[in-house]
Amino acid sequence: MKRLAIVGMPNTGKSTFFNRLTGASSRVGNWPGITVDLYGAQLPIGSDLAQVVDLPGIYDLHGFSDDEQVVRAFLENNPVDLVVVVLNATQLDHQLPLALQIRDLGFNTVVMLNMADEAQHLGIRIDTEALARGIGCPVVLVSARRGSGFPEAQQAIATALADARPLQLDSVRAALAPDDRVVERAEALVKGAVDAPGVLVRRTTERLDRILLHPVFGLPLFFLTMFLVFQAVYTLGAPLQDGVAWLLDEFRALALKPLAGVLPGMLYGFLVEGIYDGVGTVASFVPVIILFFFFMAVVEDSGYLSRAAFLMDALMSRFGLDGRSFVMLLMGFGCNVPALMGTRVMRSRALRLLTMLVIPFSLCSARLQVFLFLTTALFTPRQAPLVLFALYLLSFAAAMLTALVAGRRLRNNEPFVLEMPPYRAPIPRQVLLRGWHEVSHFLHRATKFIIAGVVLVWLLTNFPASEVPGGPDTFAGMLGRLAEPVLGPIGIGAEMAVVLVFGFVAKEIIIGAMVAMTGLQGDALMGYLAQHMDWVQAMSFMIFVLLYTPCVSTLATQRAEARSWGFVGVSVGWSLGLAWLTSFAFYHGARLLGY
Amino acid sequence: MHEQHTLNSLRKGQRAVITGIEASDGLRHRLQAMGLRTGREAEIIRQAHLGGPLHVRVGNVHLIMRRADARRVSVHTAA
Repeated sequence: MKRLAIVGMPNTGKSTFFNRLTGASSRVGNWPGITVDLYGAQLPIGSDLAQVVDLPGIYDLHGFSDDEQVVRAFLENNPVDLVVVVLNATQLDHQLPLALQIRDLGFNTVVMLNMADEAQHLGIRIDTEALARGIGCPVVLVSARRGSGFPEAQQAIATALADARPLQLDSVRAALAPDDRVVERAEALVKGAVDAPGVLVRRTTERLDRILLHPVFGLPLFFLTMFLVFQAVYTLGAPLQDGVAWLLDEFRALALKPLAGVLPGMLYGFLVEGIYDGVGTVASFVPVIILFFFFMAVVEDSGYLSRAAFLMDALMSRFGLDGRSFVMLLMGFGCNVPALMGTRVMRSRALRLLTMLVIPFSLCSARLQVFLFLTTALFTPRQAPLVLFALYLLSFAAAMLTALVAGRRLRNNEPFVLEMPPYRAPIPRQVLLRGWHEVSHFLHRATKFIIAGVVLVWLLTNFPASEVPGGPDTFAGMLGRLAEPVLGPIGIGAEMAVVLVFGFVAKEIIIGAMVAMTGLQGDALMGYLAQHMDWVQAMSFMIFVLLYTPCVSTLATQRAEARSWGFVGVSVGWSLGLAWLTSFAFYHGARLLGY
Repeated sequence: MHEQHTLNSLRKGQRAVITGIEASDGLRHRLQAMGLRTGREAEIIRQAHLGGPLHVRVGNVHLIMRRADARRVSVHTAA
């Protein structure tokens, strides 16, 4: 099988090109020598079966950024038959050096001048033959968005691939060292082959920027946009999630319940309440991940995400984050899982890890359910909204504090220089593929871990088998008692401590666990809670639930995205510590004030 | 008559020619790869409030840059 790598700068439509070439068949994979996920696909090209790999967008082969190192490591460790270099045809003076660098390494190369339609529209004329002679490889004009020129592009790739032999890795390693005046050569080549007006005028983009980046209205418009995106994702997502939950329940009642008579009780419990519920937890995330990435693809592909970075940077840079971190943090208030996956747009690893450490403090909709229940139970209708508001403030404060503290260790060394691409209408096909890819990524990476987590909690709450499930003498109950010296000082009793063990699986289970433990529901449970906790205890409990640990799905995603258990450990340890200290300070502060 | 400045000190709408980048190898390399090269024309399109980043045009590439990074880019303006 032959291997084809796609290389290009960020914002060249490289991924659009890759998606058009490979369709929905691509998936993430591991590669020797590198630690990030790359999309790859296998497909027939001409008479060969080829493996196509989409490498991260880079500006320069010899640079020091994380992505540039990834691309170098990939090329040094994986034999490649053909490199397809995707360039933005509207910026050839800026982009051509990369193609020359690749060619200089000795790779069989085909150059795609993408966005040919835009270039034509802007009055740029390109002599592809002169370029082809200058670079020494085929050059094709193409529009990956609209598909024009694509058959020619495929033909050029197939022809080049048919004769291609993989380049010896040794020679790549040796050749990656020098950089032979590519910029000067590129400039001379562009002068001879490209006829472009001096400064390109993009009226639509300039007009939109005058509004969207307006000194006064820019920020309110940004918050309005975020609010609308958030509402769209989670209001559309909620009924879909309910639908998935309904389907799972129906299946359980119709198909699985009858098994209870056949299988021994413990096996049934393990299979249905452990594994099946684990699968259900995974499934419940699917609609919201798809929707989230539909909308994020629109925000990103339209060019608005880098505008958001521009608008929010003054504030976020003080916390060691950038504007894109802020967007993900906001989205985390719906659900942390897709927000964590969304951090992949940040290409500096330090910045990405810092953002992933911060996101779990966003008060997600699962925690909101718990807080709504508890505030209704323990506070008057006048107080309840204030309590909720305080929890939101705390959520934000915890995120920013975490960024400040952890930012010292995760120093982001890359300069903050981002490209601001012109506005472009998102392409439906691209948006759909993005949702599909992200969901398959999530299922691929997180399913096992989430199911394992759910099964573990089932074991803890159902063993030893002689005890009442979830009762004081199960392992979970013992854990609760064990935690008493730690949780007692913050006003949380042994009963509630067991509930917290459930909350590790998913925060929305917390109320369900209370129902199971007390045998009471709705108003009766509220009454019970009001009798057994005062408001200070309830507040302390809610503060703890807000901060204490990301849920198992969030942890699974953190692990998958950071590819590090150590990072997950730090995230859990820090959350637990911060939760305890905050609850302790609140509980004793309130008691000292006489409440 | 030319005047030497750094990129962050330009006013909105002012154009200048890049004369050099004073930074560590890694940072300089990065900025150069993004198009900030000696001899290229740069223009400040807008400045964010509260010491936020600059919107800079270099040739036909539009960039967001923090002011601290822009300070490392020296330019001269035709005065």
